[in-house]
Amino acid sequence: MKTMDIRGLVLINATSEAAAAPVALSPLPPALLEVAGKSPLQRTMERLRQFGIEQVTSVIEAEDAQILEVKNSSSIFASRDRFWRAAENAFNDIIQDGAELVILVRLGAYAEIEFEKLVQFHLDHHCRVTQVAHQSQPIEVFCISASRRNDAASLLRSQLSKCRSECPRFEHAGYLNPLASPLDLRQLAIDILTLKTETGATGKQIRPGVWVEDRAVIEKGARVVAPAFIGAFARVRTHAVITRCSSVEHHAQVDCGTVIENSTVLPYSCVGAGLDLAHSVVGLGSLANLRRDITIEVCDPKLIGYVSATPGQRVLNAALEFTTYLPKQIWDGLFGKSQPQQPDLKTALRQTSPALGSAAGYKASACDTEAAGEFASNLAIVRRYGHQ
Amino acid sequence: MDISSRPVVVKRMPERVNSRVAREFLRDVQPFLTTDRPQLVFDLSQVKQLDAAGVEMLLRCMSEAHKRDGDLKLAALSPPAAVVLELTRTERLFEIYETSTDAVRSFSGFLPNAMRQQLLHQKTAPAPLAA
Repeated sequence: MKTMDIRGLVLINATSEAAAAPVALSPLPPALLEVAGKSPLQRTMERLRQFGIEQVTSVIEAEDAQILEVKNSSSIFASRDRFWRAAENAFNDIIQDGAELVILVRLGAYAEIEFEKLVQFHLDHHCRVTQVAHQSQPIEVFCISASRRNDAASLLRSQLSKCRSECPRFEHAGYLNPLASPLDLRQLAIDILTLKTETGATGKQIRPGVWVEDRAVIEKGARVVAPAFIGAFARVRTHAVITRCSSVEHHAQVDCGTVIENSTVLPYSCVGAGLDLAHSVVGLGSLANLRRDITIEVCDPKLIGYVSATPGQRVLNAALEFTTYLPKQIWDGLFGKSQPQQPDLKTALRQTSPALGSAAGYKASACDTEAAGEFASNLAIVRRYGHQ
Repeated sequence: MDISSRPVVVKRMPERVNSRVAREFLRDVQPFLTTDRPQLVFDLSQVKQLDAAGVEMLLRCMSEAHKRDGDLKLAALSPPAAVVLELTRTERLFEIYETSTDAVRSFSGFLPNAMRQQLLHQKTAPAPLAA
């Protein structure tokens, strides 16, 4: 029995509506941003392979070396003005290579499509081009017959907005995330960690619901509450708390005593010591607060900073830090005041950030609900029987 | 009700509060802080960028005011300022009002209505996910 040759073509460009939004948080489009260890592009490719579509080509709009990490043999990079021409060429190459059907996906939105059913629908309806829809709204996923080269060319030339012939819709009932805003990025992390998506978090599950990738460092005294994800080379320093579906991506750092709650720390980002990061997405010196629906630039590396993406630069910075650290320790040992005792987790969480210099460690116990426990027990009795 | 006749000083904070601006601002408000029972309101409506030095300055002003049995209240927080105060766990240390007028009036009597917005915001925050 002869099997059908089906190939995949994935397009990623910044002109798509979704790709333009969370620019402040990363130079990469959302489709290339890693969420719980893998980018939507990697997840889409993985799913295509699961359905037996082994040969997948991606065409990515990129100007410089920002996409070095996603570079692989099946990726084509094109500048903005040459992007659609490159996509058309890639499509023609796939056909010339003997493909009979091409699954064309533009990311954009991340959808977990059942490609097997899509192909079956396409064949059953003898379509030239089939478009996928979600809740009757078209999404940019197509199944194209290779013999209909002109239809494909017209589709690509119109930037996927028009089809030359009638284009039946295949209704997709599965998972879809528009990836149009930081909120969607956060939602994707939550959905991955709560197993609502079919592709899961990467790394090893060290406890139920806690995924940690290789070379991640969780220092003694730090607490990671499930569900949570810690990426490769990420560092969670002592007394930090990672909780409520938070995701700390690769090479990110969370400093001492900081609480990360329902938040995503994007790759190479650093969150300073003693902070309270909740309902937010942090990336490259910016913070998107989802509750207030605002993205702000934080120019203070004591609060939000970033580490270099180039390994050489990181090594250089670490060496520099080390050379200044040793003399400082010797100086402090000889002439400095005695080191204050390291506070325990409970104390660390109730103080203001050490980033606040001399005002650091201001105890918020008066405003803390836990402070209720500090009242003398007889006060509680007075309250209870006050009316008698 | 305790009606206060002492003056309330309202100061508008600049757009960008970094360490240099914070130092200058602190120098400006120092004379008010060193009076007996100082009553200050900082209007943060213009603030677009607030860094750790700015928050440190706010805490220092508050503690100076407390030392002299006075108080510092914040008013009209811009979203970036509110985010940074939340991030640094300091928003719970201040009384925060919707407007400077409300903050000034709060020195002469408790204004639950003026604080309602803030409480509402806290209540409407997304419920924590079940872990």
